[in-house]
Amino acid sequence: MSMRSQVYEWSNLAPTGQTSSLRRTVDAVPVAVPTNREYDVFIGGIGNNITKPAETTATQFIVIEDIACSAYLGGALQVRINTTDYFQNPDVTDQAGVPGLASPYPRGSSNVAGADALTSYTQLLKSFDLYPDVYVLPGQVFQILYSLQTANNTGVATTVVAAFVKYTLYDGPDALIANKLLELGVTINPNNVDWYKRTLIEQQQRSRVAATATNGGSA
Amino acid sequence: MRSQIYAWNSQSQSGGTQRWTNANTGNSVSIFIGGFGNNITKPAETTATQFVVIEDVAVSPTAFGTSGSFGTYRGLTSSGASAATANGVYGNRAYIQVRINTTDYFLDPDNVGNDGIPGAASPYPRSTSFQPCFNLYPDVYVLPGQVFDALVTCYQNGAFASAATLEGNQLSAFMKYTLYDGPDALIANKLLEMGISINPGNVDWYKRTLIQSQSAPAMA
Repeated sequence: MSMRSQVYEWSNLAPTGQTSSLRRTVDAVPVAVPTNREYDVFIGGIGNNITKPAETTATQFIVIEDIACSAYLGGALQVRINTTDYFQNPDVTDQAGVPGLASPYPRGSSNVAGADALTSYTQLLKSFDLYPDVYVLPGQVFQILYSLQTANNTGVATTVVAAFVKYTLYDGPDALIANKLLELGVTINPNNVDWYKRTLIEQQQRSRVAATATNGGSA
Repeated sequence: MRSQIYAWNSQSQSGGTQRWTNANTGNSVSIFIGGFGNNITKPAETTATQFVVIEDVAVSPTAFGTSGSFGTYRGLTSSGASAATANGVYGNRAYIQVRINTTDYFLDPDNVGNDGIPGAASPYPRSTSFQPCFNLYPDVYVLPGQVFDALVTCYQNGAFASAATLEGNQLSAFMKYTLYDGPDALIANKLLEMGISINPGNVDWYKRTLIQSQSAPAMA
């Protein structure tokens, strides 16, 4: 299991009277998310969080393959590696990142929150594909930052917003191979990691045969 | 080499199990031997001559809306007993985790096991309203002699139908896997050693190379 498909889902749901919780809780209620501010979905202090910033150890390599968020209220997701934002404007200024309208979560959801009537909603499809993937090298910290432009709290009701990240975690020997592929300029994905393993095995077999031949047929 | 599926319906009582109720909300329950819904007679495991490749897992979908809205949304029931207690979540807010022996497959970035794949990312059943944004790739391998399980956790009370037939937003789960048995399981192990993905195409390819290597000297 040194190469594993992983997901992380965040929503602004927390126990009553709290703004965040470690892991998920039963019957959690939505909390307000201030507008035009970026919140880390891992440790941002809103909704379900984890115990420490998301980072790779010296023996891990992460490839982020997809990000998505609620399509309403002007929601967007940004990826930050260490202190560098991945998505930038053409003039190299900051931007909010991938809008939920381009990469909706859940897929097929509406661009209007809680639109009940069958005739009044859109079933959104993705118009964004995170390709090439985003690499998180060993020892790097990564953040997935959610922001919205329109308030999700009217004082009477609060809208639930969510975000989703899909990534592959390469650990141990597979992380070493991922680093090697990066050096070679080869795309890092499970197929290419397997291909590199096969070439290593073939090389070993060839050198074993060559060594046997050199020793006059005895191993 | 056989394509297999296992579909779990939380309201089935086949095998003398109980129906899923609100009391289980927040607990992770095995879809094979958890005691709720349709179950099997013993834990799911591979024998010494079997190899299982899990290719897909899915669970009931969830939709997000606004608190205070009570009713249904695309067939999913809202939470709460009235508008006053509705929190804006429609459906079960369910997740499915894969466990091999005692190890959870899906982890959070802090390396702590999480609830698994959300139904919002891998819905069952799929529809135009609820489409997947998750693909279980690379696949999960269950080696000979290992025990495997799929655990469902939901966090929303009162948001599942009680009908015994699969309809609406009833809590349900699905697993698709391929079972390699006998010689095919040996080949699957060999492919694993060689670092080649285990799928029916590659198992067939390995068989062809064996046949070709056997027949080559005879032809010469």
